[in-house]
Amino acid sequence: MAPDHRAGAAVQVDAASKVYPDGTDAVAPITLALEAGRTTALVGPSGCGKSTLLRMIAGLELPTGGDVRIDGEHPDAVQRRGELAVAFQDPSLLPWRSVAANIALARELARLGRDDARVTELIELVGLTGFAAMKPAALSGGMRQRAAIARALATEPRLLLLDEPFGAVDELTRQQLARELPALWQGGGTTTLLVTHSVAEAVRLADRVIVLSPRPARVLADIPTELPRPRNDVGPEAERFERAIVEALERGRAGGDATQTGG
Amino acid sequence: MIVVATARIRRPSAPARRDATIGAVGVVIALVAWEVLARSLEGAFVLAAPTAVVAAIIDNGPLLGRALAATGSTALIGFVIGNLAAVLLAALAAVWPRSERTVTGLALIVVCLPLVATAPLLRVLLGAGDGPQIALAALAVYYTTLIPLLVGLRAVPDTWLDLVRVAGRGTLTALIVVRARASVPYLAAGLQIAAPAALLGAMVGEFTGAERGLGVLTIRASRDLDVDLTWALATIAAVVSMLAYAIIGAIGRAASGGQPPTILAAPRIAAGAGRLRRTLTGAVSAVLATVALWWGGIVLLNVTPFVARTPVDVVGIFAGTRDNGATRDALFAALGDTAVFVAPGYLAGLAAGVLLAVLIVLVPGASGAVMPIAVALRSVPIVTTAPLIVLLIGRGAVGAITLIAVMVFFPTLVACLHGLRQAPGQALDVMAVYAAAPWRVLLRARIPAMLPAFFAAARMSVPAAVLAVTVVEWLATGTGIGALMARSASLSNYDALAGAVVLVTAVSALGYAVVGAIETRMLARYAPEQAS
Repeated sequence: MAPDHRAGAAVQVDAASKVYPDGTDAVAPITLALEAGRTTALVGPSGCGKSTLLRMIAGLELPTGGDVRIDGEHPDAVQRRGELAVAFQDPSLLPWRSVAANIALARELARLGRDDARVTELIELVGLTGFAAMKPAALSGGMRQRAAIARALATEPRLLLLDEPFGAVDELTRQQLARELPALWQGGGTTTLLVTHSVAEAVRLADRVIVLSPRPARVLADIPTELPRPRNDVGPEAERFERAIVEALERGRAGGDATQTGG
Repeated sequence: MIVVATARIRRPSAPARRDATIGAVGVVIALVAWEVLARSLEGAFVLAAPTAVVAAIIDNGPLLGRALAATGSTALIGFVIGNLAAVLLAALAAVWPRSERTVTGLALIVVCLPLVATAPLLRVLLGAGDGPQIALAALAVYYTTLIPLLVGLRAVPDTWLDLVRVAGRGTLTALIVVRARASVPYLAAGLQIAAPAALLGAMVGEFTGAERGLGVLTIRASRDLDVDLTWALATIAAVVSMLAYAIIGAIGRAASGGQPPTILAAPRIAAGAGRLRRTLTGAVSAVLATVALWWGGIVLLNVTPFVARTPVDVVGIFAGTRDNGATRDALFAALGDTAVFVAPGYLAGLAAGVLLAVLIVLVPGASGAVMPIAVALRSVPIVTTAPLIVLLIGRGAVGAITLIAVMVFFPTLVACLHGLRQAPGQALDVMAVYAAAPWRVLLRARIPAMLPAFFAAARMSVPAAVLAVTVVEWLATGTGIGALMARSASLSNYDALAGAVVLVTAVSALGYAVVGAIETRMLARYAPEQAS
C-alpha cells in the first residue's frame, strides 16, 4: 500500500517501554493507537516520560521493550521519506540562518527540493511576514516558536509531533499560538501528537486526551474531547473535560490504578 | 602552547573605551619604567631601553625584514598544514565518535613531544632548508586548533541534531549542516592561539641550523651578547605574535557573528564506573597509534638505521639490554635535575596567576586594564622570552624557574580572570541581597566558578612547563634533560635522543593526566554542572 503523501499516518504503540542505561524507568509498557488525521494530546505531570514516548514515536529513542509502528513501518523508514516532523519546546532554530532559511531547512534535510513559495506561504500563515530575512536572535520567543512550527510544517508531514511547543513562551503568547496554530495542521489531515502539561491547552487543541501517570508512565485515562471548532471560548463542556483530566491526574498522583475513563 | 582560548564578549562601547584608555596608559607607564630601568642598568648588559630597541630595529632594518619574511612564510605554511590536519581529524572524530579518544590522545602526545629533540631530528630527516621549520610550526598548531574545534563540534544543542535525525539523515549531514557552522567561533579561537604557536615552531626549527630567519638571528645575538639586538628581535617576535593574535581574533569575531565562546577544553567527565576503563582504552589506543606512526614513518621514509630508533630499540634502551643501562641512567639523572626546576616553576606560576587574578577581581576596574596586557603577553612565544630572562636573571636556577613560572603564569591568569568573571549573576545577586563581604563573595561564588578555568589552564600548563624547562636548559643553564637532548643531537647520539623523546613525552603526558584526574575529582565536587 503506497502511502498517500498528504494523508495522515496511523501510529501503533505496542507495549513500548523505556529503561535508560542508568536504570531510570521512564516509560512502563504502554499501548496506544493514534488514529490517522486526528490530534491526540498526551497530558501528564512533569518528568512522567511523555516526552520519552514522543521521542520513541519519532524514532529518536529505541524502545527497550515493545514496538512502535507508523502505518506498520518502523519510524526509521518514515523518517527517511521525510514524512515525520517534530517541534520541540526549544524552537531550536539555527542562529546563523534567517527565518526563511530555517524553515527551508526541513525541506533540505528531507531532500524534498526547494519550494520558496511554500516557505513564503508558511511565513505568512504563522504571521511572520516581514521577518523572513531576520535571524532568530532578532525575534521574540513567541515568534521563534512560530518559525519552528512553520519549519515542522514545511515538509507537509504525515505525522507531526509537538513536544510542549508552547512551553517556553509567555502565557499571552501561548494562548494566542494555541488559538491560531491548530488550523495549520488540522487542514491537511495530518496526524498530530501534542505533548503538554497544560490541561487547558490539551482540551483546546486535541480531539482526544491521553492522561499519563507519574514515572514510569502508564495510561490513566483516555478522554475523547470532540468539541466544535474553533474553540475560542471555553464553554461548560470544555470545563467538564478539564475536570475529568484533572481528576485523572490527581488519581495518578495518589497512586490510583490505571482506568480507562470515557469522557 | 595555550589552549585556554578566550575571546572577549562584545561589550557596550563606553566601558570598552574606558578599558582601552586604561590599557593604553598602562602600556605607556610600562614603557617609561622600562626605559628608566634600562638606563639605570646601563653597562650591565641585561636590559635594552625601548629607545635602544627602536634604534637597533632601524639600524638592522633590512636584515630584520628579510629574517621576518623567512620566518613568517615558513610559519604560515606550517600554520596552514597543521590546521588542515586538525580540521580533518576533528571532522573524523565528529563523524566517527569512537575515534575521538585516539585522535585527542595522539594530539596530546604530539603536544608533549620535546621540541628540543624533535627539532634536530627533523633537521636530520628533512635536511637543510625550510622543512623542519614548517614541520615544527605545523606540529605546534595542530593541538591548539584541534581541541577547541572538537569542543565546538560537540557544543551543539541535542535538538539541533534531533532535527537532522528526524529527517532520516546521518552524522555526515549533521556535521555539514549543523556542527561545522556551529563550531566556527571555536575554530576562530583555536586559530587565534595557533598563530603565535606557529611562529614559535618556526623559530625553534631555525635554531637547529637554518640559514635565515628570526631564530637564526636570535641565536647569533644571544651568543654575541648583543643586548640591543636580542631585545629588538624579542620585540619583533612579540609584536608579530600579538598582531597575528589580534587580527585572527578580529576576523573570527566578524565571521562568527555571535558571542565568541570561552573554551576551557575541559575533559568530558564520564559518569561512574566506565570512566577508568574508557580513559585507559583511549590511552592505549593513542599509544598504539603513535607506535604505528613512528614505526611506519621509519619504514616509509626509509630512514637510515644510523638515525632511526624503532620502538623495540627504545624498549631495549630502557630495559638496559642495549648498553647495560648507561643511556637510561644518564636520562633519569638528567630528568632528576630537570624536576628541580620544573616543579617549583610550575607551582609558582600557577600560584602567581591565581593570586593576581583574585587581587584584580577585588579591585574594581582593574581587570579591564590588566586583561588586554595579559592576553597579549600570553601570546609571546617562549623562544622570545628565554633569551631575555637569561639576560635579566642569568643562567642559574633562578632564571630557569622564573622562565617556567612566566610561561605558566600568563595562561593561568587569563583563564582565572575569565573564570572569576563567570560567577553566575544570580548567585552574586543573592549575596548582594545579604550584603556579603567581598571576600565572602569571592570564596563562595567566584572561586568555585573559577575552578574549571583554573584546572584547564593547570592541565595545559604541564606540557608548556616541560617545553619551557627543556628550552631554557638547552639555551641557558646547560643542565638537565634539555641540555642532554641538545648535546645528544650535536653528538649524533641517537640512542639518547630517542630515549629522551620517549621519556619526556611520557612524563609530560603523565603529568597532564595526573592534573586531569585531580581536575575531574574537584569538578565533580565543586562544579558538577561540568559533568556530562
